[in-house]
Amino acid sequence: MTATDVGHPRTGTSGGGAMATCVFAVLRTGGRQAPALTPGHAGGGAVGLLPLPGGDLQAVVQDVPAADFTQEALRRRLGDPLELERCARAHHAVITAAAAGGAVVPLPLATLFTASGRASAALADRRDRILDVLDRVEGRAEWAVKVHVAQHAPAPPAADGKDPAAAPGRPGAGAAYLARVRGRERDRQARHEALLRVAGRVHEAAAAHAVAAVRRTPHGTAITGKDRPQVLNAAFLVDDSRATDLVAAVRALGGAHAGLDVHVEVSGPWVPYSFTSLGEEP
Amino acid sequence: MSALDHPGATAPYSPTPSTANLADILERILDKGIVIAGDIKIDLLDIELLTIRLRLFISSVETAKKAGIDWWETDPALSSRAAQSALARENEELRGRVAELEGRPPGTPKRNRAKESA
Repeated sequence: MTATDVGHPRTGTSGGGAMATCVFAVLRTGGRQAPALTPGHAGGGAVGLLPLPGGDLQAVVQDVPAADFTQEALRRRLGDPLELERCARAHHAVITAAAAGGAVVPLPLATLFTASGRASAALADRRDRILDVLDRVEGRAEWAVKVHVAQHAPAPPAADGKDPAAAPGRPGAGAAYLARVRGRERDRQARHEALLRVAGRVHEAAAAHAVAAVRRTPHGTAITGKDRPQVLNAAFLVDDSRATDLVAAVRALGGAHAGLDVHVEVSGPWVPYSFTSLGEEP
Repeated sequence: MSALDHPGATAPYSPTPSTANLADILERILDKGIVIAGDIKIDLLDIELLTIRLRLFISSVETAKKAGIDWWETDPALSSRAAQSALARENEELRGRVAELEGRPPGTPKRNRAKESA
């Protein structure tokens, strides 16, 4: 993939073009603290709060140049690594800052309406579901747990074919070779099972402190490096009061186990992106 | 990488936007579906294509790690510059390999018949 940063005018000049309303998140009004606001998407107006019908909910919104958020424009912008990073970080920053004002329901990247009135009406239609989700995540946060296992196989004898007794051409070399292959396959199976057990153990330890969990497909070795397979990629919804327990519990499982070098990586607290679906994402 | 490594910062949500790992952010945002719950629609096929491209992007950035580029260990954020240097390095390696295959020492210019493919 190439970074194409040529020719396209920077988003920016909101001079005169049509604007659309971008909605980042919904939260309750009257939290302990006003939601913090960050700049939002480049080229847009100020990020602000849009009161929703009923008075108890508000949306975090920004007017953005409609031309930057058409199908073509989005495909181009999100296909460009630099633009993608800018967009994703802007989105994440707005949502994370807004969460200072209480539990939030983050909406998908680039949730767009033709006008703020439309946004307000559409969100009012989903009011019950939004309130349910807010109740569910109140006082809770998402914690991500990833487990990698470093591959330093305990040097199996002659695994690299340097066994002098099995030098090619010697009698029995073929049988010895096959035996080695079978042995390696057995070792591989055993390792694989051990890895799954480690993943399961960490997941259980975390889940014991969580109210909900999602398990994502672990990243492949193309991403993590060949010698560092990822065996668990999970997220947990955790009461704020139990977060330190969860972190301690999963970290305790890092280190050497049965010949495996287990790395446990915890990050959080995150806005509970993974537990706030309104049930209508594609 | 964990916020708990810096216990001083216990803001409500601490993987602060500026330092949170881009891959972690994208993973969450992509799982919510990119675009479009509002009334400006993008058709599903395009969203899927987009998702695939984004996932490819994440992978290609992270090949930098495999290539031994050290920013990965020192800076957990996937910086765009790192992505580009990984790409540059990959291009360089590919050029070297093409040169080898064409039987000329790496670094010497291609003959005219060789088609430019970078």
